[in-house]
Amino acid sequence: MSNSNTPQVRLRVLLFSTLRERLGSSVLEVAVPAPATGSRLLDQLAAQHPAIAAYRPVIRLAVNQEYVPESIELHEDDEIALITPVSGG
Amino acid sequence: MEFRSPTVWLRLMHEALPVAEAVSFLQTPEAGGLALFLGTTRRWTDDRETLSLFYEAYEPMALAEMGRLSDEALRRWPVRRLCLWHRLGDVPAGEISVLVGVATPHRAEAFETCRFLIDTLKRQVPIWKRETLSDGQRVWVEEGIPEAKQP
Repeated sequence: MSNSNTPQVRLRVLLFSTLRERLGSSVLEVAVPAPATGSRLLDQLAAQHPAIAAYRPVIRLAVNQEYVPESIELHEDDEIALITPVSGG
Repeated sequence: MEFRSPTVWLRLMHEALPVAEAVSFLQTPEAGGLALFLGTTRRWTDDRETLSLFYEAYEPMALAEMGRLSDEALRRWPVRRLCLWHRLGDVPAGEISVLVGVATPHRAEAFETCRFLIDTLKRQVPIWKRETLSDGQRVWVEEGIPEAKQP
């Protein structure tokens, strides 16, 4: 994992519906060791929050209002969101 | 929130969807067929009674995603007018929650485009519904996620 020399990338993550309710917040602030990939962010959040761990296999990552693969590298000014299975209509 | 061009009208609304407005937008002499799909909130699912639904959206992304669906429809079919509207917030049982309207030269492509839009919207657009049941329970609709039940 990280040590004091590893640069940290500070990210803001938006939550909706069931994750927002279960975590009691619509935004999480988290520092992830660089390079901050989507899968590294999700693994770290899943380790910190059981509710995110429960949904980890079905969460889709969105960056700047578009679905992206978890391999993407995240940057401090990105708008990041965790999208659980949607149910509009 | 909304986006409107001469051919495409996307809307996220916190009040009742004005169906007549959509129909007049969709009517054009360039089209010979107009398909309109209205999704309504269902009161009974088997023996479970739903009193109302609450829709939450990641609004800017929902509108962007609706724009991507509409762009794809315009690439694949000869669409002359397209409406994709979704209601948000509380919707009592029996009211309209989603409206998809398409006008094309011939009816077959109007039905096809309409079907593509509603099916893809339900899979892709970041909108979630929570049901309030007759026994007072409030549950997010999460089909196919058995392992993610409330602890």
